[in-house]
Amino acid sequence: MVPIKYNVRNLVVRKRTTAAAAFGLALVVFVFACALMLGEGITKTLGRSASHDVVVVMRKGSDTEMVSSIEDKHVNLVLAHAEQVGASKKPVGVGEVLVVIHLDKLGTSGVSNVTVRGVPEDALAFRPTVKIVEGRAPNPGSDEVIVGRAIKGRFKGLQIGETFELKKNRPMKVVGVFSDEGSSYESEVWADVHAVRQAFGRPGSVSSVRVRLDSPSKFDAFKALVEGDRQLGLLAMRETDYVEKQSEATAIMLKILGGIIAFFFAIGAMIGATITMNAQVAGRTREIGTLRALGFSKTSILFSFLLESLVLALAGGAFGAIAAIAMKAVKITMINMNTWSEIVFGFEPTPEIIVSALVLSAVMGLFGGFLPAVRAARVSPVEAMRG
Amino acid sequence: MIKLFLIAARNLKRSWFRTIFTIAGAAVALIAFIMLRTVLWSWNAVSEYAAQDRLATRHKVTMIMPLPKRYAEDIRAVPGVKQVAFMNWFGAKIPTAPDEFFASLAVESNTFFDVWDEMVVSPEDKARWLADKKGAIVGHVLAKKMGWKVGDKIVLEGTIYPGDWEFNISGIYKASRKSVDDSEFIFHWDYLNDSAPAEMKDQIGFISIRVTDTSRSAEIAQAIDRMFDERDVQTATMSERAMNLSFMAGFSALLTALDVVSIIILGIMLLILGNTIAMGVRERTKEYAVLRAIGFEPWHVRFFVIAEAAALGILSGAVGVGIAYPFVNHFVGRAIEENMGAMFPYFRVEPTTAALAFVIALGLAAVASLLPSIQAGRVSVTDALRRVG
Repeated sequence: MVPIKYNVRNLVVRKRTTAAAAFGLALVVFVFACALMLGEGITKTLGRSASHDVVVVMRKGSDTEMVSSIEDKHVNLVLAHAEQVGASKKPVGVGEVLVVIHLDKLGTSGVSNVTVRGVPEDALAFRPTVKIVEGRAPNPGSDEVIVGRAIKGRFKGLQIGETFELKKNRPMKVVGVFSDEGSSYESEVWADVHAVRQAFGRPGSVSSVRVRLDSPSKFDAFKALVEGDRQLGLLAMRETDYVEKQSEATAIMLKILGGIIAFFFAIGAMIGATITMNAQVAGRTREIGTLRALGFSKTSILFSFLLESLVLALAGGAFGAIAAIAMKAVKITMINMNTWSEIVFGFEPTPEIIVSALVLSAVMGLFGGFLPAVRAARVSPVEAMRG
Repeated sequence: MIKLFLIAARNLKRSWFRTIFTIAGAAVALIAFIMLRTVLWSWNAVSEYAAQDRLATRHKVTMIMPLPKRYAEDIRAVPGVKQVAFMNWFGAKIPTAPDEFFASLAVESNTFFDVWDEMVVSPEDKARWLADKKGAIVGHVLAKKMGWKVGDKIVLEGTIYPGDWEFNISGIYKASRKSVDDSEFIFHWDYLNDSAPAEMKDQIGFISIRVTDTSRSAEIAQAIDRMFDERDVQTATMSERAMNLSFMAGFSALLTALDVVSIIILGIMLLILGNTIAMGVRERTKEYAVLRAIGFEPWHVRFFVIAEAAALGILSGAVGVGIAYPFVNHFVGRAIEENMGAMFPYFRVEPTTAALAFVIALGLAAVASLLPSIQAGRVSVTDALRRVG
């Protein structure tokens, strides 16, 4: 075999061409990884809002909490069912109202949808990961609200001390900011459930009920109880499944869009690599002839050039992947297509994404280098050395 | 000059392998560029082509709260208002295809197709629809996709209004404007209202308004909102265009990303072209020296390099646009209009986009050849010829 050192040195000597080809490959890997990371970002951000032992109960036929409605008297029935199955932690569950409101965006012109969750007093106790990071918790039963860390300051009226209207002459005052380990709750505004119900003219009902069971394995029994009661007309879903469904459309769109773009980019970069490697081979004909004359076989020349292309591609790929990981610091705001409200999420690098980005660069290198490598292997030692 | 250009272009024949690969690479980048621009263009088209003389009134605070039905009558009385049609978002699901997304609207039967006159329905279809309480008018794209024909009986599931709802397909509409979705499902508001649960009765989602004079739109919108300001439900009225724009603001991050990506792909194209041209120049140093030695001026040499690059750019542009145009308009565009009609009602490559792409191909080739051409023009005759081996 031709030593790898030979190939690496060659790449180093031809700095400029190597850099141009590697840069093209790096761009492809960067874009590819970014798209996957965004898809992952929205899935993870929503996924963090879900626990395995929590069940969401909604009206049958509802896709989202927003269109669901459950009467108050049924809420107690649902909670009783949960206790019967096994739910000993207090509070057992929370009935919440979910609405979206139009607020003016700051920074850019335009109005966007913001999710407002009307929560009961014990919502914070029900979700132990939620913490007040600035200001204070709202007084129960008042028109005070807390806003998620991610959405704070992105809309008009969502800073501590500011107000926004749920209804004419009904200002809601922001008194605190909460965090929830980067979950999608951080893109919501939490207000008192009664205030929201009153403002939206829906007394006596909530959107959904969440209950925390003692263990995820009790889900089936609970589901059977809730859905078995035809009078209720409700459905029960694991929170993890519910949340996955909420992010599905947007995540898939981002991944498909990114995939298509990366596909075209990859073809472009592969061709770029082929041209570069081909020029390398053409410029080194005499060198290759010498190697052949020294006794290296055709196969080892073929592998040598494939290897060189691979090293080039991996160098570009690694560079692109590192740049992509740096995107972790960037947060973007986008409409979630399932709920039509804004959600703030970031680029989430995972080992799988980084590995698949590197695999992509390796594949581009091998395919791009194949034709030139074949050409190198075909060099006739006699002719090459004579020329 | 033309002759010199043709001579320069003939140089491309010297390395078939490289020329073909370069053109292929640049063409692929160009196709990606055209597709990205078309996504951006058709996204904007929804608001760009929105009717100028149509306003929409919705609940001031939220899209999920309805308006009282009498608001429509109140608006009808506002001076400058030509026609009014109210409607509710129904949110239908097809039981056999629950993932199929389409807009379903319960509309004011008598006026809807006057206010939305770009949704063209034949008089027979419309008459049949008006006579049938359970009748529905369906966009031609949706009808084709689901295999619905006039006279079919279908059942849809309501997500907002629970239960199973029966409909008869009375007619098909076709949009005459690029901003209108061809996959909507339109039926009678009265049918919805008669069967809706008590607490959802006599409420309407939003109101479409045609005004007599486009220049007075803003004034009329203000007058409407002022009228309801002291009532229990406040409204926000804006032009259809403003409404679409504010809706798209939610996707602005994504649009910016696509914008950036479309620039990056041009960067990749520049790298491919530049690499090829630079390689050619490096190999031919000796020839340029000979040219100079027999009396050609440096500008001749520079011209040869740039002309060869321009020929490469023209070929790449022709191939890229030549493939992208039919590819998008006949395959991709049709698929997108059928499956994502609500977001991209019209997905075609605009002639301006194609022309822009072609010019960019040419321009990038010229830019890519700039440095190599200067280098080639500077070739020192003696140095280059000394190296003759």
